[in-house]
Amino acid sequence: MAEFSPGLEGVVAAETAVSEVDGAGGRLIYRGGYLIEDIVPVAGYEEAAYLLWHGELPAEKELEALRQQMSAARTLNRSARGCLTALDPQTDAMDVLRTVVSAQGASKTFSKPTLDEAVALTAVFPTIVGAAHRRRQGKEIVEPRADLGHSANLLWMMSGEEPKSDQVRWLDTYLVLLADHGLNASTFTARVVASTGSDLCSCVVGAIAALKGPAHGGATFAARTMLDKIGSAENAEKYLTEAHGRHERFSGFGHRVYRTYDPRAKILREMAKTASPELYKTAARTEEVALKILHDAHPDRPNATNVDFWASVVLTGAGIPKELFTAIFATSRVSGWTAHVLESLADLRLIRPASHWTGPEPGKKPAQLAKR
Amino acid sequence: MTSNYIPGLEGIIAAQTAISMVDGENGRLVYHGYVIADLAEEMSFEEVAHLLWRGRLPTRAELDALTLELAGSRNLTPAATATLEALPTDTDPMDVLRSVVSVQGVEHRLEKPTIPLAIHLAASFPTILAAFHRRQQGQPAIKPRADLGHAANYLYMLNGKESSPEIVHALNTYLVLLADHGMNASTFTARVIASTDSDLASCVVGAIGALKGPAHGGAPSAVIEQLEQMGTAQNAERWMREARTRKVKFMGFGHRVYRVYDPRAKILKAMCERMNPDFYALATKVEEVALRILHEEHPERPQSTNVEFYSAGVLQAIGLPKQYFTPTFAVSRAAGWTAHVLEQVANNRIIRPQSEYIGPEPRKPVPLAERG
Repeated sequence: MAEFSPGLEGVVAAETAVSEVDGAGGRLIYRGGYLIEDIVPVAGYEEAAYLLWHGELPAEKELEALRQQMSAARTLNRSARGCLTALDPQTDAMDVLRTVVSAQGASKTFSKPTLDEAVALTAVFPTIVGAAHRRRQGKEIVEPRADLGHSANLLWMMSGEEPKSDQVRWLDTYLVLLADHGLNASTFTARVVASTGSDLCSCVVGAIAALKGPAHGGATFAARTMLDKIGSAENAEKYLTEAHGRHERFSGFGHRVYRTYDPRAKILREMAKTASPELYKTAARTEEVALKILHDAHPDRPNATNVDFWASVVLTGAGIPKELFTAIFATSRVSGWTAHVLESLADLRLIRPASHWTGPEPGKKPAQLAKR
Repeated sequence: MTSNYIPGLEGIIAAQTAISMVDGENGRLVYHGYVIADLAEEMSFEEVAHLLWRGRLPTRAELDALTLELAGSRNLTPAATATLEALPTDTDPMDVLRSVVSVQGVEHRLEKPTIPLAIHLAASFPTILAAFHRRQQGQPAIKPRADLGHAANYLYMLNGKESSPEIVHALNTYLVLLADHGMNASTFTARVIASTDSDLASCVVGAIGALKGPAHGGAPSAVIEQLEQMGTAQNAERWMREARTRKVKFMGFGHRVYRVYDPRAKILKAMCERMNPDFYALATKVEEVALRILHEEHPERPQSTNVEFYSAGVLQAIGLPKQYFTPTFAVSRAAGWTAHVLEQVANNRIIRPQSEYIGPEPRKPVPLAERG
């Protein structure tokens, strides 16, 4: 019998062409063989999503068709609307997303996942996140606009104001960077759900549920919260030294796969300088001190800054409150989740691992209730 | 390069567990050391849930306390009720369950999973399903009754009247039999989600999505449909041989783990003989023919009847509509899912396996204007 590998570390659970994380080389490759740093200058989020779904970047006509298809799918259906308004406005944005996506995909007939469904689900995420934000603030929900792209629509539905082009670019770059990342826990969840032959909505709802975990999608929020506590570049050394003394983990550092600087963090770090100059100063000093403390404590371990750390600074610059960070992460990753599900359909096999029994020897007889 | 990819994670140990063990070679299912045959017709669902959650059968005082707590958690939150009412009456009840459990769990966001939270969620399943069933019938929801057990109350809320002791006992036995089953796909989904430190509702909602798949929990209604198509025992073999030429799968046969007769199927089969003689007459003939044909096709493979096959006959005898077979499976498995989440959280490591990249070698993307 095979040995138990906690966290399935090192176990290959899928073959995929959707993306590859080359941890040793510090490279993230998207479908088609493109390095993430090469995609960012030439493609926006819709193009990146198209790439993950189709394996090739769209030509202008194809991109236009996708934009129209997404634009037509941004509205919530009756079930989803009813469900959204049933929720307390203060509900956590990830719970809103998990619930309203489930309702949006609720159906009377069972259907196998399709590309059209993937496009429609991806398109509706900004609408839900925008509505959750508005309701939380006690404001009217803002309807999507057909003339705006994915990122611009998200900002529009959050604020009800025409977003600035820089803001749109920062958010859009973040969405491109986070759209897929190998077999992370939420993507793996989506593939496990898909492996039972379930529908696309169930796969995506399961993935949202996994992304909600602080050890996965919640890390950007945690990074920003730590930066808030640090407050200023001057305070970084004192705060981190004390936190380290209390054995607290530094949010935004370390990753299971990367052994070098995360290529996405590199791009976001550069962008953070203009997106959020004040927070950048605090963050840059925090990074410097944190890496030194971590290196001194564990010279043997690679302890690089991860994507969550710099994402928290860039999203702040784009005008996203930290309570929405995880939901915005989901708004990006949904294209990757659905691409993985669609890919897995080609050779679907139930994912059903084994477990190792650590309980009592089988066969003991239960005592009658009165004798227990 | 040889691939390390393990399709379906077959044989890979993904967890250590003391909750249940599927001994496929010997056809044994064990809950915390007790063989299922010793529990099935003797214990209430509440006793077994206590066993799964706490690792031992309850004393009388503990059972009374658990029964009281379950009964006290049966009401839906106002948001859950409103969501239920917002979904169209022709919605698949599994989609209803996925969406409304998601709302019911909202109040406990990012609390660490606990037994009281597990009780709270598990208690809500029958209420959600019964209320939706009543809505489909154009009838008002029936309030839960605290003096009835889990199985009896579920039937009471579905039908608006108490069921006979025989029917209650049958449903209770079904709920006990299906409450846990090693590292099946939905339980594994729940554990993957738990591994990110997400909340209990997220784990359970993800598991519902996985159970919905036809290769997992979505099969028992398909068993009935197939039997209905055959119509009579005389017609079975002709129908089945013809179906095989069209590559139609026989529903209710084959299992990843069991190499001999599924011990749950054995118990359910005996119940069918008592309670559903018409079904039993046709089903035993179909079983005999199916196993014979499958053996002819693959003499090297062990072929066996799985739990779905005779579940269908028992649930039909209980009077459940077909649409509610898989959701009722979820009513039972909710105990196992939540027990596994608690076990995962007690000794956690994020479940993040690897993938093997099968896409093209890295190359440069072409800017939009040059694509075509």
